[in-house]
Amino acid sequence: MHRYRFVFLRPLQFLPVIFGISIITFILVRLIPGDPARVLLGTRATPTAIANIRAQFGLDEPIWLQYLYFLRNLANGEMGKSILYKIDVLKLIATRIEPTLALVVCSVLLSIAIAVPMASIAARNAGRGPDHAVRIISTFGIGFPPFWLGLMLIILFSVKLDLLPVSGYGATFGDKLSHLILPSLTIALSLSTVLTRSLRAAMIEGLKSDVATAARARGMPERIVFWRHVLPNSLVPTINLLAVNTGWLIGGTVVVESVFALPGMGQLLVRAIFSRDYMVVQGVAMVFACATVLVNFLADIATVAADPRVKL
Amino acid sequence: MNRKWKSIGFAAFAAALSLSASFAEAAGVLTIGRREDSTTFDPIKSAQNVDNWVFSNVFDVLIRVDKTGTKLEPGLAESWTISGDGLTYTFKIRDAKFSDGSPITAEDAAFSLLRIRDNKGSLWSDSYKIVETAEATDPKTLTVKLKTPSAPFLSTLALPNVSVLSKKAVEAGEDAFAELPTASSGAFIVKEWRRGDRVILEKNPNFWQADRVKLDGVEWISVPDDNTRMLNVQAGQLDTAIFVPFSRVEELKKDANLTVLTDTSTREDHLLINHEHGALAKKEVRQALDMALDKKAIVDTVTFGIGTVANSYIPKGSLYHYDANYQYPYDPAKAKAMLADAGASNLSLNYVVNAGNEVDEQIAVLLQQQLAKAGVIVNLQKVDPSQSWNMLIDGSYDISVMYWTNDILDPDQKTTFVLGHDTNMNYMTRYKNDKVKDLVAAARLELDPKKREALYVEIQKLAKDDVHWIDLYYSPYINVARKNVENFYQNPLGRFFLEDTVKN
Repeated sequence: MHRYRFVFLRPLQFLPVIFGISIITFILVRLIPGDPARVLLGTRATPTAIANIRAQFGLDEPIWLQYLYFLRNLANGEMGKSILYKIDVLKLIATRIEPTLALVVCSVLLSIAIAVPMASIAARNAGRGPDHAVRIISTFGIGFPPFWLGLMLIILFSVKLDLLPVSGYGATFGDKLSHLILPSLTIALSLSTVLTRSLRAAMIEGLKSDVATAARARGMPERIVFWRHVLPNSLVPTINLLAVNTGWLIGGTVVVESVFALPGMGQLLVRAIFSRDYMVVQGVAMVFACATVLVNFLADIATVAADPRVKL
Repeated sequence: MNRKWKSIGFAAFAAALSLSASFAEAAGVLTIGRREDSTTFDPIKSAQNVDNWVFSNVFDVLIRVDKTGTKLEPGLAESWTISGDGLTYTFKIRDAKFSDGSPITAEDAAFSLLRIRDNKGSLWSDSYKIVETAEATDPKTLTVKLKTPSAPFLSTLALPNVSVLSKKAVEAGEDAFAELPTASSGAFIVKEWRRGDRVILEKNPNFWQADRVKLDGVEWISVPDDNTRMLNVQAGQLDTAIFVPFSRVEELKKDANLTVLTDTSTREDHLLINHEHGALAKKEVRQALDMALDKKAIVDTVTFGIGTVANSYIPKGSLYHYDANYQYPYDPAKAKAMLADAGASNLSLNYVVNAGNEVDEQIAVLLQQQLAKAGVIVNLQKVDPSQSWNMLIDGSYDISVMYWTNDILDPDQKTTFVLGHDTNMNYMTRYKNDKVKDLVAAARLELDPKKREALYVEIQKLAKDDVHWIDLYYSPYINVARKNVENFYQNPLGRFFLEDTVKN
């Protein structure tokens, strides 16, 4: 079982990583010029009113002291109070996690559902017409910016065909699912192109592998060879590719959540940045960073479990 | 693909189709799409329009502003008297109930007024510092004593932020109240707040004007993207949407299912001038700049002809607006000559632009071209909107376009901010004119409306002559509604009269 030793050792590395992230987000967000007090007060922001707000949220303290307060809060499992919403940042984030999580999960599942058949067709017809067709479709998928693609999908499926909700998030499970179809599709259309290319390469390799040749020699039909031996093996590198793309995926949700008015963390982050709500920006950045670290960790475990040759 | 998978795929698709039917809204519930979600339900802790517009659905005020935005009318205060010295106000509180059934008393009113003045989290305490005491002299009588007489005091009571809250409900837990108020004094109660998504309001059966309310409920739904918000109304999934961009009006007007509503607002966009910077200190130079600007061309381009050219800092349709105020003619040749006479032929100005704001960026380019015709070089400096404000405060700008919307119908609030020679340096222009300063102070104390109006006319004339800033344009609120929605109306101060709105 020593192959799994990293499961216990790796988390020890997380602490310095997360500590580093906390410093970077803390400093970066304060380097953006601007002032939360001005946003809060609007055009009535007189210099005295601004000074009052800054004092109230401790923004007039030296930056190193503010950071120490932030660390003290973190140690107590808190992330401070939102300047804009006046409630605890963690509490605020908790209300916004679900849509983002659901969007990421649906997008990944949908990407796989698109990528596997596309890559299979391409790999089994490598160098011929269907392969080129898949490549052309992929190029388009990468080329379209998500906000534009999202709007086009809304116009087609919601306005013209009247099949799906334009935007928002529902209250019941089914309602939520129907609201998630278009945003997930928007992300999946670009994410699946990356997956298709990697899967196709892995499948072509798999089709030429000794395992496949041996199976064919035993008289196994080509269809079974592909489904039983080639496909499972080609999924292993894909898991890692997905994990590496977590950051990209989160970036994608920020744009897509705004276009589709999904009340998730991406939208929260955008508004927090525009209002210079430092505590919320820090909090969301920390959660995203921890999620990325965690996903990569889980991907490592999955890789080790899927491929007995891998040692970490 | 084998048959099993085919049938599963078909089932999933059919399920998705049937789900889509569930987004239709219940009849009698009005859905409004807006750019941002609410931030709080504690009215003293927000200065944002997104919040104020919901506060006025949920909480009632002592004195209301009417539909025209120019007159006060009784709200929870049935009537009031003012003592001869202008210091003591006595309000008679109407027989009304909070949504929880408890009576609205003078004590609740006194509590709400003192709370906005004293609470540490209040963003509005400055506006109510003038209140010396506020007490319930009996359960239905509120007596307020002011430190100094103040003509605009009554109109400040109409602000949604000083709404009458239930003392009992707030004291039971301020934070919980801000999350979901347990007692409302207005037309609707807050049933649910799905953060980031929507605020769900339900008719308040205990509202003192409940007969007037036709809607069963209202949902304020946040749809940040302008395109998506408009598509929602076009697809019939939202009844109304607010913040329609100027550029979309023509297209939406062509849709037979929609009505585009342009309601008068108090918004004025103006060009700030830093009077402390070199030649800009000279009145003639500022007048020349005003003449070098073709304001009509700017309005027509950036607002697609929807806005109107401004001629005074008090917007058209507002109390004491002086319609006959002077307007500098567009005359770049004369402007150039005036600049030469003033010894400012090679004027070069640093223009702070709000980056990312489509309209502001358009104005900047137009201004740059127009001023070039008068020989003025303009350097555009694009910065983030929250940064530009600090640059204005620090005085590190020559010119910059900003805007203002009134919160109260009385002109004193804006006048003080713009010309009162207060701590904010007259909207950061550093404008100085002692005569204007004295007139602003006198107008605040003058209780006779006729005399007050004369004072404000005088102030508007002087400010125009001095070119304290350059008035650019007034623009309306632009909203869009489905044809089956009636009386969806916003008064100039932004209040939505949802108690009159009908959804057929």
